[in-house]
Amino acid sequence: MSLQDSSPASTAGKSSPAASGGPSLLARLANPRVYCALLALSLLVIIPAWSGSTFVIHVFVTICVFGALATAWNILGGYAGQLSLGHTVFYGIGGYTAALLLDSFGLSPWIGMIGGAALAALVSVGIGYPCFRLRGPFFSLATIAFLEVVRLLAIHFNGLTGGSAGLVVPLQIGWPWMIFREKINYLYIAFGLLLLSLAVSYAIRNSRLGYALTAVRERDSAAQAAGININGVKLWAIAISAALTATVGTFHAMYMTFLEPATLFSLATAIEIAMFALIGGLGTVAGPLLGTVLVVPLAELARGWLGASANGLHGFVYGTVLVVITLTLPGGLVGTFGPFVTRLIDRLPGGGRTRPETVAPAAKLVGGTVGEPVLKATNLVKRFGGLVATDNVSLTLKRGEILGVIGPNGAGKTTVFAQLSGFLAPNAGTVELLGQDGKWHQPKTPDAFARLGIGRTFQIVQPFGKLTVLENIMIGAFLRHRSVDDARAVALRVARTVGLYELKDVEAGTLPIGGLKRLEVARTLATEPTILLLDEVMAGQSQSDTLKMVELVRAIRDSGVSVIAIEHNMQAIMSLSDRIVVIDSGKVIAEGAPETVVRERRVIEAYLGEDFVHAQGL
Amino acid sequence: MDVLIQLVLNGILLGSMYAIISVGLTLIFGIVRVVNFAHGEFLMVGMYAAYLLAAKFGLHPYAAAVPIVILLFAIGAAVQRFLIQPLLGAEEHIQIFATVGLSTALVNLALLVFGADLYSIPPSAAQGSVMVGGFSLVKGQLVMFVCALALVAGLHLFMQSTALGRAIRATAQNRNAALLMGVKVDQIYVIAFGIGAGCVGLAAALVMPLYPVTPTIGTYFVLTAFVVVVLGGMRSMYGAFFGAMIIGLVDSLSGYYIAPDLKEVVYFALFLAILIFKPTGLFGLGRGTE
Repeated sequence: MSLQDSSPASTAGKSSPAASGGPSLLARLANPRVYCALLALSLLVIIPAWSGSTFVIHVFVTICVFGALATAWNILGGYAGQLSLGHTVFYGIGGYTAALLLDSFGLSPWIGMIGGAALAALVSVGIGYPCFRLRGPFFSLATIAFLEVVRLLAIHFNGLTGGSAGLVVPLQIGWPWMIFREKINYLYIAFGLLLLSLAVSYAIRNSRLGYALTAVRERDSAAQAAGININGVKLWAIAISAALTATVGTFHAMYMTFLEPATLFSLATAIEIAMFALIGGLGTVAGPLLGTVLVVPLAELARGWLGASANGLHGFVYGTVLVVITLTLPGGLVGTFGPFVTRLIDRLPGGGRTRPETVAPAAKLVGGTVGEPVLKATNLVKRFGGLVATDNVSLTLKRGEILGVIGPNGAGKTTVFAQLSGFLAPNAGTVELLGQDGKWHQPKTPDAFARLGIGRTFQIVQPFGKLTVLENIMIGAFLRHRSVDDARAVALRVARTVGLYELKDVEAGTLPIGGLKRLEVARTLATEPTILLLDEVMAGQSQSDTLKMVELVRAIRDSGVSVIAIEHNMQAIMSLSDRIVVIDSGKVIAEGAPETVVRERRVIEAYLGEDFVHAQGL
Repeated sequence: MDVLIQLVLNGILLGSMYAIISVGLTLIFGIVRVVNFAHGEFLMVGMYAAYLLAAKFGLHPYAAAVPIVILLFAIGAAVQRFLIQPLLGAEEHIQIFATVGLSTALVNLALLVFGADLYSIPPSAAQGSVMVGGFSLVKGQLVMFVCALALVAGLHLFMQSTALGRAIRATAQNRNAALLMGVKVDQIYVIAFGIGAGCVGLAAALVMPLYPVTPTIGTYFVLTAFVVVVLGGMRSMYGAFFGAMIIGLVDSLSGYYIAPDLKEVVYFALFLAILIFKPTGLFGLGRGTE
């Protein structure tokens, strides 16, 4: 078995969204997914333009605005899984920045729009940085609290914002001032902003950042092991989302020509935005817009026909639809019906084409001299309360060797691994890595360890359950490859190497344990590590799979990678390892060649007890 | 000095109102592990019920407390049974959206039925005040203070010394272990949610003589209740009680010493600071971000 086995398979079954560097523009337009989407989108302008009614135009402007807001929200709420219920902070910042710049300095709202977006991005990072450590509902509550604080401050500082009484936008008509007599012009801008949001959302979905966000949402530990800076990517998501939201906020404020804190920093609107995204389908490109298209006209029509007597009707409908969706279609409309519709669309002329597999960039050969130390752990101590889980452990890994770590259950092997990969900080002692630059480094975070070449698997498997096997491996491959095509190609090569190629399009959550263990190895290998930490990868494998795994680990080592393996499968670890370290009760009790270590009295004691040692007369 | 003492007394009395609302929220979060974003709307429903009972049957809200608590218990139990229970295995964001959706639907239903007008019951003795040692105390708030103490004491006795209370605590600590011990966990959740909502029913009956009801009154109170619950460490009834007292004091003191319209800014800032820097709550009684 060779790691360089990269012959592109002739049957690339998976059709996937176009990515950068793909086919030409014209060729893309011939794809039914593209022309159907563009046709559907253009209806948002064609219908109101054809009808000519101001009310219809207003409804469509509202759809475009909320579609754009929900799409922008989805970048944070859907892709990154951070449910902001205070997103109107950014919308309001966009509105007020532009209105105040216009009011005080006579600056065009187009400039204010950019200023508002920049300010919102800045504020969002200030909100995100402390709040991203909060889990689930507490993040949502914190965003609500920020929104309330901003709203109350906007009311309080009425000298600046006009307070509760509100602020009227100076009425200068024309494109530079974003205020028009012809309502259709508003629609053009709203539609343009919607396209912008969709384009950004689509680009992120199909980029390294999009995959990283999905990984973080699904499982942050595995994402870190794949070298993703989890806070960094979330901050990018909130900043982009906030900037887009503020941009739309500027336009909407100009459209309404009146700003008051209650509408611009409205909690109800913030909830509606999130709601539209969920109804359409969280984490999908089309979902947020679809949700908006579905429920906004209902509400606007009710308001138009029934007037004030229907006060509350639209909110009641929104709330009820949301509850029904959570109970019946938790994936939203796109999550539930999307695959079916996509199949139908692919039957149209020009559809169903599969993308050719690109050839993976050659795996980098690991340089350096075989036998030189590449990892040094010195006097590691880790305490959990009164328990000393790691008690003064030192070990050195040499380039190109396979170091086996054995020890009875609860001996502290996995705790040592966690410290060697940055997941636990030792109470005392250091972990040093030899970088590609030939210098020694002491990284602090798991993603920094990964970037320096540590690849680890988890004893308790950590798949990204909702992603396919191939996408799981791609998350690893993105560590060394920026482009989606390269990452895919590398992932395919790794999938073949570990024997997961046939399962590449299967949802990872459905794999049996043996497959999941191999997926752990595959995702880690895809990061192209120089040091591989394997935590019980043989467990749960069949006899023949264990043999394959042993072969695989040898092949990895032969490509220049150094390996540390924790294993309970004695036969496998003894035949595999060049050297063995035995850990018991947090201490290293023996070290040496496999055949000598197993004869040591202390090792036999640790595994079988003193009584056994006495009985055997050893 | 007298002003300060008066403000502190006001704060404690105000805190007892938040305590009653927050204890219910804490129970639901601590046991069912669901953040009930519709909690404020339960209060709003209870207040409209109190208003209707007073307007149609001339029943004083204090007398109406019993039927309102029963009504809210039933609503809470139904929400758990038909909305939360089917979603217990679902992803967290779905649970959040479910109660957020319920909250939105209830606010707007009230808007449809009652309009945006304020409704209050005819003035009663509860709005009057008594002088104690030179300090003026609102009678209705004194009643709340006594009820808050009685509620926490009653719940404490119930949790510690009844079989049902033990089953509830067991379920809160480890759902699966409780299940293995034969506790009917789903039933426990329904009861716990009902009790949590029932507490809000009590709050509604006590609040009605002092505040007019509007469709959005729940949002106003529940955000404060969330602040309280976070201060108290999220899981602890006692933490929530003391958290409520602190928020009452902050409200009363910052309203006087800083600016009346900025008092909420002060406690939201406190809320964010606690969430971010001390997620176990002020008293270290919970584990907020786990």
